[in-house]
Amino acid sequence: MGKPGHREGATMQVKKYLVKCLHRLQKGPGYTYKELLVWYCDNTNTHGPKRIICEGPKKKAMWFVLTLLFASIVFWQWGVFIRTYLSWEVSVSLSVGFKTMDFPAVTICNASPFQYSKVKHLLKDLDQLMEAVLERIVAPELPRANATRALNFTLWNHTPLVLIDERNPHHPVVLDLFADNHNVSASGSPAPGRACNAQQCKVAMRLCCLNGTVCTFRNFTSATQAVTEWYILQATNIFSQVPTQELVKMGYSGEQLILACLFGAEPCSYRNFTALFHPDYGNCYIFNWGTAERALPSSNPGVEFGLKLILDLGQEDYVPFLTSTAGARLLLHEQRSYPFVKEEGIYAMSGTETSIGVLVDKLERKGKPYSQCTVNGSDVPIHNLYSDYNTTYSIQACIRSCFQDHMIQNCSCGHYLYPLPRGQKYCNNQEFPDWVYCYSQLRQSLGQREACIRMCKESCNDTQYKMTISMADWPSEASEDWIFHVLSQERDQSTNITLSRKGIVKLNIYFQEFNYRTIEESAANNIVWLLSNLGGQFGFWMGGSVLCLIEFAEIVIDFLWITVIRLVAFSKSLRQRRAQARYAGPPPTVAELVEAHTNFAFQPDTANPGAYPDEQTLPIPGTPPPNYDSLRLQPLDVIESDSEGDAI
Amino acid sequence: MAPGEKIKAKIKKNLPVRGPQAPTIKELMRWYCLKTNTHGCRRIVVSRGRLRRLLWIVFTLTAVALIFWQCALLVLSFYTVSVSIKIHFQKLDFPAVTICNINPYKYSAVKPLLADLEQETKAALKTLYGFSEIKSRKRREAEPCSSAWEGPQPKFLHLIPLMVFDEGETSKATDFLTGQKRKVSGSIIHKAADVMHVQESKEVVGFQLCSNGTSHCATYTFSSGVNAIQEWYKLHYMNIMAQVPLEKKINMSYSAEELLVTCFFDGVSCDARNFTLFHHPMYGNCYTFNNKENETHSTSMGGSEYGLQVILYINEEEYNPFLVSSTGAKVIVHRQDEYPFIEDVGTEIETAMATSIGMHLTESFKLGEPYSQCTEDGSDVPIDNIYNAAYSLQICLHSCFQTKMVERCGCAQYSQPLPPAANYCNYQQHPNWMYCYYELHQAFVQEKLGCQSVCREACSFKEWTLTTSLAQWPSVVSEKWLLRVLTWDQGQQIKKKLNKTDLAKLLIFYKDLNQRSIMESPANSVEMLLSNFGGQLGLWMSCSIVCIIEIIEVFFIDSLSIIARQQWQRAKKWWSQRQAPACPEAPPSLRGQDNPVLDIDDDLPTFTSALRLPPAPGAQVPGTPPPRYNTLRLERAFSNQLTDTQVPAES
Repeated sequence: MGKPGHREGATMQVKKYLVKCLHRLQKGPGYTYKELLVWYCDNTNTHGPKRIICEGPKKKAMWFVLTLLFASIVFWQWGVFIRTYLSWEVSVSLSVGFKTMDFPAVTICNASPFQYSKVKHLLKDLDQLMEAVLERIVAPELPRANATRALNFTLWNHTPLVLIDERNPHHPVVLDLFADNHNVSASGSPAPGRACNAQQCKVAMRLCCLNGTVCTFRNFTSATQAVTEWYILQATNIFSQVPTQELVKMGYSGEQLILACLFGAEPCSYRNFTALFHPDYGNCYIFNWGTAERALPSSNPGVEFGLKLILDLGQEDYVPFLTSTAGARLLLHEQRSYPFVKEEGIYAMSGTETSIGVLVDKLERKGKPYSQCTVNGSDVPIHNLYSDYNTTYSIQACIRSCFQDHMIQNCSCGHYLYPLPRGQKYCNNQEFPDWVYCYSQLRQSLGQREACIRMCKESCNDTQYKMTISMADWPSEASEDWIFHVLSQERDQSTNITLSRKGIVKLNIYFQEFNYRTIEESAANNIVWLLSNLGGQFGFWMGGSVLCLIEFAEIVIDFLWITVIRLVAFSKSLRQRRAQARYAGPPPTVAELVEAHTNFAFQPDTANPGAYPDEQTLPIPGTPPPNYDSLRLQPLDVIESDSEGDAI
Repeated sequence: MAPGEKIKAKIKKNLPVRGPQAPTIKELMRWYCLKTNTHGCRRIVVSRGRLRRLLWIVFTLTAVALIFWQCALLVLSFYTVSVSIKIHFQKLDFPAVTICNINPYKYSAVKPLLADLEQETKAALKTLYGFSEIKSRKRREAEPCSSAWEGPQPKFLHLIPLMVFDEGETSKATDFLTGQKRKVSGSIIHKAADVMHVQESKEVVGFQLCSNGTSHCATYTFSSGVNAIQEWYKLHYMNIMAQVPLEKKINMSYSAEELLVTCFFDGVSCDARNFTLFHHPMYGNCYTFNNKENETHSTSMGGSEYGLQVILYINEEEYNPFLVSSTGAKVIVHRQDEYPFIEDVGTEIETAMATSIGMHLTESFKLGEPYSQCTEDGSDVPIDNIYNAAYSLQICLHSCFQTKMVERCGCAQYSQPLPPAANYCNYQQHPNWMYCYYELHQAFVQEKLGCQSVCREACSFKEWTLTTSLAQWPSVVSEKWLLRVLTWDQGQQIKKKLNKTDLAKLLIFYKDLNQRSIMESPANSVEMLLSNFGGQLGLWMSCSIVCIIEIIEVFFIDSLSIIARQQWQRAKKWWSQRQAPACPEAPPSLRGQDNPVLDIDDDLPTFTSALRLPPAPGAQVPGTPPPRYNTLRLERAFSNQLTDTQVPAES
């Protein structure tokens, strides 16, 4: 019952309102533009307009110009501020000090990936070949008839090393190192390379693809590099065919490598380390990686509260041609991040004690829209191959994944040094005979690297471990005997000394007195900054506020309203005039009478049809808006005085 | 009428020149306070009671003071900078790497020049410490030291001899060569003795530098003979080498092929042609990799295999035993256009080791004037850059010292480049230079030369943070084959089998391609300053620039013109009074009616006082101020009045 009644009431209200509106429209504007402007100027809270109306004409003009000037300055400055805000600048805050922090993950590798005694059977052919090559390069005069017989030339023929004789710079002669066995050499002169030395002959690697039809030479200025590169390439080929489980067995075991471990006051052992097979360095061991268990914190600075390790490198068992540098490789990195030991690691020398003071240098960046960094790498168009190790995103991982992607696209096999995507195979000479050529092309190409750099994004949190490295001889001559004895006894249960100065390394890794330096980004210009600056500008030039803006908007609406009303009146008058023109002075119709009844301001135009002059001479409308009545007096005065001034 | 005049007339008609509306200053102030947009002022007028009025006056003045204070703070802190640190992962330019052997010249080549000096040094060692002969392990058999130095026997050696000083009696010293006692005058300067207090040694070794013309002498003593002999040797060495022409020196030093056994950059072989020669006076021939401005190498991958790998041949047998006492090489990483200050900053490389140097690049940009005193390219520093390199603070200091040296001593110091139209000091031409140099150096260290205050730091610089680590190289098992191949590589440069202590391996690489840029940017801009002003003005008084214009208008223009008008009226009145006896009929108030408060100007023009005024005969509207301070009325009254004011001004 009540509901329809209520609805009826509402419709009535709306109807009433509409009728009122109609009447208002029909009545024409209640007041003029000028009135409205004057009223606004007098009553607004902004400072300039008030002065326009209250003084003499010269000052009026001056204040008008000033107000316009200030308003334009305000708008310009607002533009500047909004643009500054939208440039998303950041400010940084730096904090330095000591706090209890997670001890960094420590990755330890041996510089040699495998124990020679365990990989000898794989590398036997290659090593014999290598020795023969060295023999040929260094001492070509010696007879070698018996030495070359046992060599396996399948490896050699795939990517041979050649000597390029440049004694005649216009006709360089290419000489195969085993020319007398194969007669590949194009030159007919007998034994031209016999008296060749490094200044005259260069060693180069011949890389062929498409069954040896397309060949390039990779030149080296020194034989040392040539043979090293060649050996690494061949060894990569061999190891890529061996399953990883077997490779792990061939490397140094944790028990062998880590002799003693002490973290703070607590003893630890190789069991506290997570093993990771690294293609460059074989078995690496990571302390405090944080993938399986919680990371260990360290709450005190100093050596006594850090990690102390004694390692045995077993230098005698290094693969002789694969690595010429002996030492432990060491990398401090964040928890759950993949250790890129080869790129970022440092060496620790055997026979020394290396102390490393650590300062954690952290940079925390704001993500979008402040910078292009990525939080977890999910918005990077490259699949992170290192995520198989449960590691976090890093740009190094991205770039390597990108390279492997390109490798698979171009050479259709994956490189041994990088992880494999699912369903792909590592490159080897048997299945992919062109891979060496393809790989060396790809590695030289700058475009590939730049494409990867462009695609990969930096991660938002960047942690660097700044290290202060110092070294001392260890063990000292006085303590040498008993230390070796004890360590040998512990590891091998033998009374003989099985360790030597050449293999033993002591490491101390500890936090420095100030262990962190954090650079944190924060938005330089936030919305509060923007608002207060906008307010400051508006206030400074015009003394305005948001309410002034609302006032202004109100006036604009009023303006539009007046315009609408005028337009309606104008069109109506046009229609009337046309009607009048057609009937040429007929008596007032019923419609006109009705009009006259509803609209008080209505005047029949019969008296003078052309009398619609401009707005000023229109009679001042009868009903001013109810709100403004108290203020109307003054504007009227002004208008009067103006017109008086005109008349004089 | 001309159109210009028409316009003029129209302007005159529409925009008549009128004075301030208020008749008195007090009235003006009152009007101002009521009409102004600032907040405190109105309260002063509106408030009732003296206490309240006083309170509001105090508040308003406090607010004004606060505004001034805060705005002053804002202005003072305008030239501050904010620092931003950015990291970019990008392709990086590889820096220039300069590598020097620590020993400057091959001893076998330079020996003929230094024969006398060596003899002298050996003799000194014998007399002072009883050391007889250098038991050179593999050194070439000491050839008979036939002095190769042509011309007169160098007498300078005897002028500055090594001496033993008795700690007790500083005035006596024994010349070890002749054994005769010498009278020592002048002050004894212990090198480092001021800080160290070496008490044990009774006898100290040193040398004395005297200037020839005067009797001024400076004596340098050292707590250890090692330092004394090395310093002394160096002094004479510089003397000798200063006279040797540059080509000869370059020939005496190591060639690039000799120093660099192998070179590998970013997976590509490189050789001596990729290095440019740079001759350093104290380090001989140095070689700079990647120094060519137009073809700078860049790195697009981090890690040691993408950086520079070199194996250096350090021939220890050719070392000068007195000049250098350590073995190895020195390496410095610098910008392409930067001068490598090997002796000041440099990383030493040990033999039989692989030195791996990981780099991080940090770039810093500072803001120049007026934020800080740094200089963009050194062109505004009043010191000529004598180095053929980009400006740096160190270059400026060295240039400054060298210029001063040429000014005061007439010759240039050996270890720095030559300024135009100067030559290096040597004993033949400049017998006084050593004393002069040491004196000047003393002054330089004590900042008396003014170099430190004139030189300014550069605004932008690149810095490579190095992480150096060592490993044994070659490893035990690879030593044999590696040395064989390396010997073949070196080929005819040396006719002997290489030893591992003759070699050093160096790896220089970017650890990652993160480039840190530390940038300063202005913390404030003019817009910010203005909006801060606006904030302050708005907070304390709800004021704006309009109010400031109002204040200027009211307090300076209007009040001054009121005062001027009053003075004018008074003067006129005084004049008319003076003229009064002459024509007493002239109505004095005809002009005075313009300003009805003429005679009671120190009083408030209240209603009563206004009534007291004599009515102006010719005026239709009496010049009475309105009875009520209705703003509306006031204005009308003034405007009417002012039209009148104009009439006499025109007539």
